[in-house]
Amino acid sequence: MFDPIKTLLILIPSLPLAATLLTALLGKRVLRGRSHLPAVLAVAVSCLASLVLLFQMHVEADRATGPGNGEAERAGYERVVTLWNWSTVEGAYRLGGRPGETPIAQPRDFRIDVALRADPLTAVMLATVTFVSLLVTVYSIGYMRSDPGYWRFFTYISLFVFSMTMLVSVNNFILLYVFWEAVGLCSYLLIGFWFQKPEAAAAGKKAFLVNRVGDFGLALGIFLIWTVFGSLDFHDVLGGPGGQTVHDTGHVPGAAITAICLLLFLGACGKSAQFPLHVWLPDAMEGPTPVSALIHAATMVTAGVYLVARCMPLFVASVDAQHVVAAVGGLTALMAALIAVTQTDLKRILAYSTISQLGYMFLALGTATAAGVTAGMFHLFTHAFFKALLFLGAGSVMHATAGVIDVRRLGGLRRRLPTTNWTFLFGCLALAGILPWAGFWSKDLVLLAVGRQTAPLFGVLYVVATLTAFLTAFYAFRAYFLTFYGTSKLPPEAEEKLHESPRVMTVPLVMLAACALVVGAFFELTHLFEDFLERTPSLASASAASGRVVPEATLSQTTVALTSTLVALAGLALAALLYLGSREQLVRRLSDVMDRLGLYRLSHNKFFFDEIYYGLVVAPLKGLARLCNLIDRVLIDGLVNLCGRLPVWDGAMLRPLQNGMTQFYALGMVLGIMVLIAVLLL
Amino acid sequence: MHHELAFLHNYLIVGAMLFGIGAVGFLARRNMIVMFLSAELMLQGVSLSLVALGRFHNDFSGQVLVVFIIAVAACEAAVALALVLALFRRSGKLDIAVWHALREDNQPAFEEPDLPELPAETPGDWPRLTPAGVQPEISPEDTEYRRDV
Repeated sequence: MFDPIKTLLILIPSLPLAATLLTALLGKRVLRGRSHLPAVLAVAVSCLASLVLLFQMHVEADRATGPGNGEAERAGYERVVTLWNWSTVEGAYRLGGRPGETPIAQPRDFRIDVALRADPLTAVMLATVTFVSLLVTVYSIGYMRSDPGYWRFFTYISLFVFSMTMLVSVNNFILLYVFWEAVGLCSYLLIGFWFQKPEAAAAGKKAFLVNRVGDFGLALGIFLIWTVFGSLDFHDVLGGPGGQTVHDTGHVPGAAITAICLLLFLGACGKSAQFPLHVWLPDAMEGPTPVSALIHAATMVTAGVYLVARCMPLFVASVDAQHVVAAVGGLTALMAALIAVTQTDLKRILAYSTISQLGYMFLALGTATAAGVTAGMFHLFTHAFFKALLFLGAGSVMHATAGVIDVRRLGGLRRRLPTTNWTFLFGCLALAGILPWAGFWSKDLVLLAVGRQTAPLFGVLYVVATLTAFLTAFYAFRAYFLTFYGTSKLPPEAEEKLHESPRVMTVPLVMLAACALVVGAFFELTHLFEDFLERTPSLASASAASGRVVPEATLSQTTVALTSTLVALAGLALAALLYLGSREQLVRRLSDVMDRLGLYRLSHNKFFFDEIYYGLVVAPLKGLARLCNLIDRVLIDGLVNLCGRLPVWDGAMLRPLQNGMTQFYALGMVLGIMVLIAVLLL
Repeated sequence: MHHELAFLHNYLIVGAMLFGIGAVGFLARRNMIVMFLSAELMLQGVSLSLVALGRFHNDFSGQVLVVFIIAVAACEAAVALALVLALFRRSGKLDIAVWHALREDNQPAFEEPDLPELPAETPGDWPRLTPAGVQPEISPEDTEYRRDV
């Protein structure tokens, strides 16, 4: 029987995988300049399939959980497609069972199925990922043209799309971890794409190493899940139709849940560049700009958000973990926004903006309410469009100016790059959260979800988030005005070849700009996104489990919308005041004042995180390495060399005996015989 | 019996003396022929002891062994003398200290220690035979070999 959902689920990741293999094998010799064909085709079909899947899921979910279905409505809708069994260890989990004792519960198997799942959360992620991937891949055709690693680039990109689609559609923690690492690998490969450049190689290494810290937490979290639940299947851990939830089993200790949540969140922090593991993302901008747009803004870095959203039933059970998530998110959002205000590299501004926006998403997830999760995921969804748009716009600027991206050296590009100009403006408006652009709607939902919490922590975080909204509008338009307005400034090397990007690059920009304009309003006003996402089983069970009535602060949507719009406009106005037109005197005086307070330097140097980490982590490790080296060289090598030297010394001592004199030898014989006789006689 | 034992002691003492003289000679002398003679002397000392003990125990195996020793010693003499001759031909000296090629690489070669000057030999009145007959003709080959004798 033809099963559309199953077919689509398998089709979506397998096509990019096929493209990867094809490009990897044939790219260098056969495809060469046409290496983009398999990737673009595969991602396009995947994207189409994802959209069909999204639609299909919507229809099915409606039918399954429509009104009147009672229990089913509570449980949400999902489909699991088991492809094959990877490994099974029978009776691996015995509760309270040391060998020889009678186990408390029935022993359970350790079972890993290669299974894909389709539920609203996955469908939304798949659609976002493949859609942005498609546009970025098309854009790369123009951007990467004439790069010697053309085929390599598209191999990595399609490998990334494969890994990312698998990451969001697998059905157990082990496979999640596998693809979690796979996207990390792709990120490493693509950051270090121009590996001849020492900065790029170092940035790739840094990203990989910082991610290791988070991944270690994720691994520990998964171990703990196995220990506590005896299963790694999403069903058994997170609940769903026919599955057990945490809250049904009843014997799971709260401290264990908190520990699991914090460990999982550590993993999410690493991948999503949250404080204190955010340091790798700004450096990752050494990679090609489409990579920054796709991996380090729109998709891979949101894997952490996806993980937390997916594991929401666990987070619901632990208030402490919720507060940690929210606090870290809020802190990161504010800190990154403060750093972004003084950066001069366009891509770095955007990178810190990404960190800040991811902080927003975690802040929303930290509320652990249905509204919060929906808001976080909705912000993820809209952010993917407008941040990819901004990055691709920055890439278009780089393309035009021969790689110069320092906003101090650019100015007045709006006449020279008309399409880039207006699409970038759209991106900035969406990022700043100006009505009716997408960012406005999702940011509002986040603020609303946070503002309605009663805990005092969330009161602080609400203020922080509002302040961040102000800063966001300010730095977004600072970057925009510096680059596109003001006196026409260009680095001399770019003067003659300045040109608008080719069609293949501007079309994705225009499409993303259109999305950045409409997706927020469309989905928010029709409530499509919210209703659909709430049918995700894990979210449904989470909100059902949190059935306790949380007292909500009375905060009307209008108030939030007004406040956020006002602060965003204030930020925009401040940026316009300082950077529109030539008020360099004013800017300089302001930054002088800030500098005297020490604030400017603090922000410009990214709060000295790199230096602190160098002092706290890198330098001690280097010292340790040096000590190990010393021990190795002196102690270990010393022992080994001693073993060699001993026979040498023996030989040197015995060598005078071999003096070649016949009579000396004869004397030796006589003495030897005398000794023998003496021994025999005595 | 007592008489017999005393008799045996005499032989053994002589045998031991022969062996000792041979050993000391072998260790102390540097002339290859003398060293060879010393070795023979040791052999004979042992042989004498064997014969004596064989007689004392009324057992002929000692004698038999000695017969073998004599045979082997004869062969050995032929080989040893041939060796000495070959070495002499190569160096023109009978001094064993000339040969020290088997020493370790970094060991110093044997050097003749500086001996104290011998007191000048006073020309004494040694009796001399009056030359008689024809002086034998010496072949050039012989002069070459005997140059340093």
